Amino acid sequence: MSPRKKPAGSPPPADLFAIEALHHRVDGRVVLDVPQLRLRTGDVTGLIGPNGSGKSTMVRFIARQALPDTGRILFDGCKIAEFKGRDLARRLAYLPQTPPTTDGMTTRELVGLGRYPWHGALGRPGPADRAAIDRAIALTETGDFANRPVDHLSGGERQRVWLAMLIAQEARCLVLDEPTSALDVAHQAAMLHLVRRLSHELGLSVIIVLHDINMAARICDRLVALRGGRIVADGPADAIMQSETLQAIYGIPMGILRQPETGAPIGYVA
Amino acid sequence: MSRSVAPTSRIALFRRANPALLCWAGLFAVALAVFATASVLRLGDLSPRFSESFLAYGLLPRGAFALLAGAALGLSGALLQRVLRNPAADASTLGIGSGAQLALGAATLFFPALLAEGRFLVAFLGGSGALLVVLALARLREYDPVTTVLCGLVVSLVCGALSATLILYGGDYMLSLHLWGGGTISQSGWRDSSLLFGALIAAILAALLLSRPLTLLGLSDESARGLGAGVGLVRLSVIAIATGLAATVTAAVGIIGFIGLMAANLARLSGARTVNAQLLAAPLMGAVLLFATDAAVLLFETLTTTSLATGAVTALLGGPLLLWLLPRLAHRAGPALSVPVRDIAHRRLALALLLAAIPAAFVLSLVLKPAMDGILLDLAAIEALSPLRWPRLLAGASAGAMLALAGTLLQRLTGNPVASPEVLGISSGAGLGLAVLLLFAPFAGTGPAFAATFAGSLLSLAAILVFARAAGLGPERLLLGGIAVASLAGAGVTLVMARGGPEASRLLDWMSGSTARVGPGLALAEAAILLVLLPLALLAHRWLSLLALGTPTARGLGLSPERAGSALITLAAVLTAAATLAVGPLSFVGLMAPHLARVAGFRRPADQLLAAPLIGALLMIVTDTAARSLAFPYQLPTGLFAALLGGPYLVVMISRQRR
Repeated sequence: MSPRKKPAGSPPPADLFAIEALHHRVDGRVVLDVPQLRLRTGDVTGLIGPNGSGKSTMVRFIARQALPDTGRILFDGCKIAEFKGRDLARRLAYLPQTPPTTDGMTTRELVGLGRYPWHGALGRPGPADRAAIDRAIALTETGDFANRPVDHLSGGERQRVWLAMLIAQEARCLVLDEPTSALDVAHQAAMLHLVRRLSHELGLSVIIVLHDINMAARICDRLVALRGGRIVADGPADAIMQSETLQAIYGIPMGILRQPETGAPIGYVA
Repeated sequence: MSRSVAPTSRIALFRRANPALLCWAGLFAVALAVFATASVLRLGDLSPRFSESFLAYGLLPRGAFALLAGAALGLSGALLQRVLRNPAADASTLGIGSGAQLALGAATLFFPALLAEGRFLVAFLGGSGALLVVLALARLREYDPVTTVLCGLVVSLVCGALSATLILYGGDYMLSLHLWGGGTISQSGWRDSSLLFGALIAAILAALLLSRPLTLLGLSDESARGLGAGVGLVRLSVIAIATGLAATVTAAVGIIGFIGLMAANLARLSGARTVNAQLLAAPLMGAVLLFATDAAVLLFETLTTTSLATGAVTALLGGPLLLWLLPRLAHRAGPALSVPVRDIAHRRLALALLLAAIPAAFVLSLVLKPAMDGILLDLAAIEALSPLRWPRLLAGASAGAMLALAGTLLQRLTGNPVASPEVLGISSGAGLGLAVLLLFAPFAGTGPAFAATFAGSLLSLAAILVFARAAGLGPERLLLGGIAVASLAGAGVTLVMARGGPEASRLLDWMSGSTARVGPGLALAEAAILLVLLPLALLAHRWLSLLALGTPTARGLGLSPERAGSALITLAAVLTAAATLAVGPLSFVGLMAPHLARVAGFRRPADQLLAAPLIGALLMIVTDTAARSLAFPYQLPTGLFAALLGGPYLVVMISRQRR
């Protein structure tokens, strides 16, 4: 197994992402206007905001699914537009909001596709590839249905399989676009805790779009809130979970409760 | 859609001085002038007595019929587009015309008495039958517009193949009937016009009665149902009206391509926003369009003393509109049509058996007696027959394998099991190349004919790629480019066919896919091309797995969907072009073989890419043997014979999907 822990003591080389003067319009309407944003390596960063705030557009730019009209996006210190396709995929793994149907593929086959950036169209999958697949399946606890078609699994199981594919990709950075939007509360919590745990165990950076502010506050080191294409709040969860801040983000009066056991903040609509 | 239309006005188109309306009036005036000029020129040379009756029973009914048929097709198109929420729906894109024509051909040949009594009923049954198949196929993808048009094209092609078989079977008599099928609006009396007039009035009244539920259907089935509209009944009656109109026109004058498509879209672009406005504007615009086209055709015919099929000319006009429209269709990325998920038990063994079956079938076919009633035991006879048999067998098998590969690539790329090489437009382009050659040199030899078909394929491939690049690439876009090119080239071929003469029968012969004239040179060339391209296709299996997961995921894994998609489509096109040279444009082996491979359990791309060409080659060997033996001493054309299997296969496929 390759070393996955963060090298202790040595500081992270640079910002994971450095975004400058990002500006994007669709049909003449400004959907994203971000003068500056830096994301740190190793953080679990949550992108939050109301519908139409630009968070999905933002995450698509971060994963280079699309390029903005203007602006500079540096990933690992290099311009993201200049990465070769497979080279970027070895460093950054992306889960779209609605994962596609999988055409009868089994879990193991789908997870195996995560190795494509490493062996390419023609290369023969070697022991390292098989080891990565086994490890990803073990980490996400998807071994029980490794040989079953993904389309036949439940929603929660399927999301775990997709996460396993991302893990098998062995990228240091995961970009997840609302990975819990189709799941019930229990499976949302399980999925997000899995993401959190993997991030810590493997030292991964995670950028995650979330709808539920309370879930986001629980698992993210840092929250970046967008509204109307602009960043309106940015900071650790505790700093964001204030009633004035939440009101600025969502545009309705909101209050904060404390969870009885842990004292963790919970936002509610006042 | 125009923003200036006030939302409150119900028939806004007619409330205001609409510039579009002025344009239409102007076009109609010009068309009237052209029609009058052509009529005067026509009548000038005739004796006064005859010219009077020619005007009363020839020219005037023709003008009237053009107006009425245009209105009927316009209304039919507007209704179909509304009810299917598909701006590319039209009697010709949904296969109604081809179905009606097939039914009329079959009735002419087998039940001539039926034709005299109820030709309109026959056309209606044929048209609705074809539409039913299209809708049954498209239903699995929730009537996604692109899928629906794709299914319509495939069904049209199958119907066309069946019609061609009837023509070959029926001889010259049927060929002249087919020429009529090109959509020549010449009239001899008022009978058709008065009949169509009655049908049109009835249809307009019925449509206006249904206009309110139709408005609800514009939303979604769920919302319409929620608002209390009987979705199924409304849809059924509207489709019946539209089919009836289109079938009536087809029964009278043959297929008039794309008038409904043009009329309904132009109506929307001219500002007809509400259902009522569209139901009134589309027939008017259809009438003007067809009348103007026919007037121009009439003038052209008078000046050059040749004949042109108006229906094919409208298809040539509508083709570019389809080209423009297709990339703009909202593509509902529905669930991929699922094929049974199961793995074959002994994959390697099954592949080995398939591989072994090919030489066995090949040898068996070589030594069979001519009428398949035993095996040639005489070495001399085998030696005498082999040189006649092996080239066409080898060419057929190679072509079958290549079509199967192309079909596998296309079906995997688009996640759509109805995609087949025929819909790429490559084969239609090849046909157009041949048609153009024959137009200038009706008796050109085999060599120039091959050159022309190959040039046609390459040109259509280039057209698809250019079109797709402009529309943003991606496999879906490429397929749309193929559909548009297929429609355009098909219209061109019909135009040449409808001229009659030796070039028509030469074209028909090629379209039927006869392998009788394949020589050793071509056979070896086909095999060589297969051996070069097969490994290339096999190398693509991982791309196919990734692309099946959709653009974002494929890109996330480091594959450029645009680049991989274009590379694979180009490969499929070259495979198709090469195969078309040997077995003609229609065989549907590229539809059946990949599907059979999947149903058999070769689920993963790599397995399917191995199994499908084996099955395709085997299919072609069997088909070729049957085609040369079943009607011995006559030979059936191999390509058409294979296509005849493709039609029923489509139907079986639907019933399997229905579970």
